[in-house]
Amino acid sequence: MEGSYIPDSEPTTRTLLRRLLDTEDPHTPRGRQSTRASARRTPLETPFSMRLRSQTKTTTRRHSHGARSIGRLAHIQTSGRLKEQTPRTLLENILLTAPESSMVVPESALKPVPAPQVVQSPSGESSRGSLELQLPELKPPTTLAPGLLLALGKRKQRLRLSEFQQGVDQELPLSPEPHGNAGASSLTSSLNLALATPPVPQSVQRPGLARRPPTRRAVDVGAFLQDLQDTSVALALPDTVLEDTQPFSQPLIGRSPNVRHSLPCPSSSAERTVGRRTQSSGPRLQNNSPGRPDQLLVGKAEEVDALAVGFPNTSNSSSGEDGLQPLQDGVGEEAEDVMEESLRSPELTSITLEFQQARQLEFLEPAQPTSTAVLPPEPLSARRPPRARTAGPRLRQDPYKTGLSHYAKLFSFYTKMPMEKAALEMVEKCLDKYFQHLCDDLEVFAAHAGRKTVRPEDLELLLRRQGLVTDQVSLHVLVERHLPLQYRQLLIPCAFSGNTVFPAQ
Amino acid sequence: MALSTTVSQSKRIKRKAPRGFLKRIFKRQKPHLRLESSCDLLVHLNCLLFIRRLAEESRANACKNKCGIIKDQHVLAAAKVILKKSRG
Repeated sequence: MEGSYIPDSEPTTRTLLRRLLDTEDPHTPRGRQSTRASARRTPLETPFSMRLRSQTKTTTRRHSHGARSIGRLAHIQTSGRLKEQTPRTLLENILLTAPESSMVVPESALKPVPAPQVVQSPSGESSRGSLELQLPELKPPTTLAPGLLLALGKRKQRLRLSEFQQGVDQELPLSPEPHGNAGASSLTSSLNLALATPPVPQSVQRPGLARRPPTRRAVDVGAFLQDLQDTSVALALPDTVLEDTQPFSQPLIGRSPNVRHSLPCPSSSAERTVGRRTQSSGPRLQNNSPGRPDQLLVGKAEEVDALAVGFPNTSNSSSGEDGLQPLQDGVGEEAEDVMEESLRSPELTSITLEFQQARQLEFLEPAQPTSTAVLPPEPLSARRPPRARTAGPRLRQDPYKTGLSHYAKLFSFYTKMPMEKAALEMVEKCLDKYFQHLCDDLEVFAAHAGRKTVRPEDLELLLRRQGLVTDQVSLHVLVERHLPLQYRQLLIPCAFSGNTVFPAQ
Repeated sequence: MALSTTVSQSKRIKRKAPRGFLKRIFKRQKPHLRLESSCDLLVHLNCLLFIRRLAEESRANACKNKCGIIKDQHVLAAAKVILKKSRG
């Protein structure tokens, strides 16, 4: 088909239809050949027309076609080929009679108008007059019309389009209404798309037709920083900004306010460890909850000291030398991390481990800003008891028992008879004895073969000695009988493609 | 196409072998010995066969005493016999 000259991006049925009808027109550039082609096009046309009629949104189509029908009218009437009652002619009548302005004016007003006209034979003049009247009132596209406009012959198209655009501009404030009234929002969106296609540098100049830019609120960095500062004391910040000796200074800076107030340490004990971080202690004192007992601080102090010792580049921090203030601030930051880490995991013994975890925490911290302030005491207390409890002999008994009871259940399944509980316990005792015997035997067999590893050959020998594997019944037979398929695959060597055998022998 | 040593097909196996349990038992009993991976399953096979024999023997004992329920003396008597048999 010759839709090539139509710059539509979407080959909808309407556009295809338009193309079909365009080629009908003897006055369009390609009209001459359409007369010959029309004969073979009518069969093609019929599915389109039938589809059109079956669609529920006929009104919008009519409206869309109506825009062009003005131009078409003249051609069709002069051509005089109209009036055989083919689907094509009926469709043309639809196009002709559909009012031009329907896309613009609210649909409810227009629907009754085109409906009776469609059924009747085309009365071209009257409809054309109505169309022309309605043309200037064109409103922003709610239907296909603009897209179909493009499909018109270019001369007429330009004229109509310009008029249409003017109408659009005039009716711009009314645009939301017809959108709502159109009731074919999907069509409108498609139309908007269609309008955006080529002849449409004009749409750029017509702001009403352009898509609305997404309204995004810019992140208010100032408010964000303000929030940060509100949660911490202002003088904490310059501290962290100054020292930049740590590799993870970025998260530190953002995090330090949180660290400060998330570390609960009473003022008295803090002085000892904080002697070198006079500035940082201030905010901490103010922000920390006094609930934390001193023991934590003692531990922290020790760890801090240990940490300071661990640092090769720092002096003895506990002495509180101000000469190394920047370094100590750095150390203080690390120690803070450690102390905070110690809060969360008081049972960690190795400083390096804590330090690493503190570093990990640093990365975690920015994700959880101020909420951590309240949290640290609680999860800490909740976490301690599970860790303190050690696994006693209780655990040792349980899995052994459960494993045995697993086999005891199989026992009751095999007997197919009701059993007493005492009998089940007896079975478990027997199983216990059996396992001991089994291990001894396997050890003997492996030692006999000069090995320290038990291999399947030992197991086969054991089964043979037990009388389960005989000359008539081989091991593979037993495996196939009693084990599920997945285990069978693992045990019995089988040939696979690629000249391989699994499991390898 | 060699399959992996893990179970390949469906994730769910009916009547799974408690491989970890068996390995733990062996390790606890003979810590100086090592157990190969496929021996695990053969040990499980051995257990199944042992329990099957034990169950049949106990059922026979219970039927001999004309009991509808298997009692622990039935099981005990059966265990004596079967343990002797599977001594290897």
